[in-house]
Amino acid sequence: MFFEIIKLAFDSLRTNKLRTFLSMLGIIIGVGAVIAIVSIGSGAREQITSRISSLGSNIINILPGTSRGWGGRVSRSSTDIFTLELADYLEQVCPSVKRVLPLSQGSGLLINGELNVQATLNGVNTYYPEVNNYNLAQGQFINEEDLENNRNVIVLGSQVAENLFGNTNALGEKIKLNFQNRDHLFTVIGVMEEKGAGLMGNLNNQAYIPITTFMKKLSNSRFVTYYIAQASSSGEASSAVSEIEFFLTKYLKDEEKEKFNIMSQDEILETVNSVTASLSLMLGGIAAISLLVGGIGIMNIMLVSVTERTREIGIRKALGAKNKNIMSQFLVEALSLSGMGGLVGILLGWLGAYTIAQVGKWPLVITPVSVLLAFGFALIIGLFFGLYPAMKAARMDPVEALRYE
Amino acid sequence: MLEIKKIKKIYQLGKVKVEALKGVSFGIEKGDFVAIMGPSGSGKSTLMHIIGCLDKPTEGNFFLDGKDVSKLNDDKLAEIRNKSIGFVFQQFNLLSRASLLHNVETPLIYAGVKVKKRRELAKSALDSVGLGDRLKHRPNEISGGERQRTAIARALVNNPLIILADEPTGNLDTKTGEEIMRIFNRLNQEGHTIIMVTHEPDIARHARRIIRLRDGLIERDEKI
Ligand SMILES: Nc1ncnc2c1ncn2[C@@H]1O[C@H](COP(=O)(O)OP(=O)(O)OP(=O)(O)O)[C@@H](O)[C@H]1O
Ligand SMILES: [Mg+2]
Repeated sequence: MFFEIIKLAFDSLRTNKLRTFLSMLGIIIGVGAVIAIVSIGSGAREQITSRISSLGSNIINILPGTSRGWGGRVSRSSTDIFTLELADYLEQVCPSVKRVLPLSQGSGLLINGELNVQATLNGVNTYYPEVNNYNLAQGQFINEEDLENNRNVIVLGSQVAENLFGNTNALGEKIKLNFQNRDHLFTVIGVMEEKGAGLMGNLNNQAYIPITTFMKKLSNSRFVTYYIAQASSSGEASSAVSEIEFFLTKYLKDEEKEKFNIMSQDEILETVNSVTASLSLMLGGIAAISLLVGGIGIMNIMLVSVTERTREIGIRKALGAKNKNIMSQFLVEALSLSGMGGLVGILLGWLGAYTIAQVGKWPLVITPVSVLLAFGFALIIGLFFGLYPAMKAARMDPVEALRYE
Repeated sequence: MLEIKKIKKIYQLGKVKVEALKGVSFGIEKGDFVAIMGPSGSGKSTLMHIIGCLDKPTEGNFFLDGKDVSKLNDDKLAEIRNKSIGFVFQQFNLLSRASLLHNVETPLIYAGVKVKKRRELAKSALDSVGLGDRLKHRPNEISGGERQRTAIARALVNNPLIILADEPTGNLDTKTGEEIMRIFNRLNQEGHTIIMVTHEPDIARHARRIIRLRDGLIERDEKI
């Protein structure tokens, strides 16, 4: 009996292929969208988290805060806060902090003869590679002497080196740096290794000079842009955050907590996770609505089908079909519709996720859970929206049904 | 074998009551061949539906094989239709998308008969009405007479207590109608009980007994 009912359902779906396809379309799109969205969401998140983690889990960024604009005051970033002395002070007073790295940042044009490239210029000290787990490919990094003497030496990011020197040797070469319309001459002493894009933008597109040079010759300011703090270990990251917060607040007399902003990696990860999660949730919601619409489409088709086949129902009842036989016939039909739609949707969603993963260069993540969930949801939708038409069919009065033209 | 006692059927159409059957009583013996005649609207089809367990009487009792079936629930009635009744309709009422074989098999599917047995029974039923070579055809690929013969095969396949035919020749020409009647006569000779509604005296002539209805009551009941 069970096989007869399945066969019956497929026979009936086969006789009207176009309609069958159209009524499956909503489910196909819904399931496909759910699978693609979940996959894209987790793929992107995996990529972002792996990039953040590659920065080292004990890194804490201390950024200028944004004051709230109230009254006549405009909201703005507090820039004149971070000095070299404050960095040293923090390094000394915070027990869980190993290092506080001051950073000055600006954009400059690097020129080597005919070639030039716009790069992010970083004034850093000698600990920068160590703290950021970012190593040299060639030459050497800025040392204490360079810092003391405000030397015009520069270390290039891999992309910058390639743009300016191609495959030829860059070490020892002199290049021109145009910063705020003033030209300076720098000697290349090192080239950094290639690294994936990180939180602070594309590292390969940066260049590094002694922070003292930056402050005295370029920016003429005694303030730096931000600090990168390194906790003694990743386990101490959170205590480092509270220590920094405590001492900075005290030092800056910053009761409103608006002069600085601490971003630890945990926090960044949390933010990223919550953003991608709520994004996935929203898109997933839209996909779920499309599934729902697909379900309504199925119900619509099933209702039409039940009405069209009123006489068939009457005949079957006259021949001895019980209500439950008719019921299961139409229910199985609705389930076949949504089930097949679900399968096609899985295929489509997988294809979509695969394509986008290729484009976005992140891993294709399709969890069996999401597939099962989407398919199960499609079946439940089929069951739910197939129930009413099936019940309508089952409850038909045989005499009336037989008389139906 | 079949006993009808003071059957009434009242249809409620809004505020108007339509009394299709106003108290009909009669009995039918096993192996009989009864024609039910009467003017249009006299309640013939209504009566057939009640005898066929497609409908329940508003009042009265209906005994089939000694059992009162007038108060049974839907499932039980479906079971009786499946096991004890064979229907032949004026409009043939075949499943248009299914082959003749599948059409004849359908009652057996609902009876839960296994595939092999089912095929066998359906084939021999189609054979017995001379359609053994048309198993794979669809209803729209055969003539009206052949469709009605398929319907008869379907009615026979469960070996029912009664065959009910509501104007089986109504949609057929005289010659084809006669062919159908010959099959009914043969089935009756083989021991089948047949109840048939008809307008045509020539068709009713084939029966052994004629019950005439008028306005929901029996007007005359005669043996021939
Ligand atoms: N579902 C219904 N609702 C209301 N009235 C009905 C219904 N079915 C039948 N009737 C009425 O019951 C009466 C008997 O109908 P029935 O179909 O039994 O007549 P009949 O003898 O078969 O007629 P015909 O020869 O035209 O087929 C008619 O007056 C008809 O209008
Ligand atoms: Mg009638």
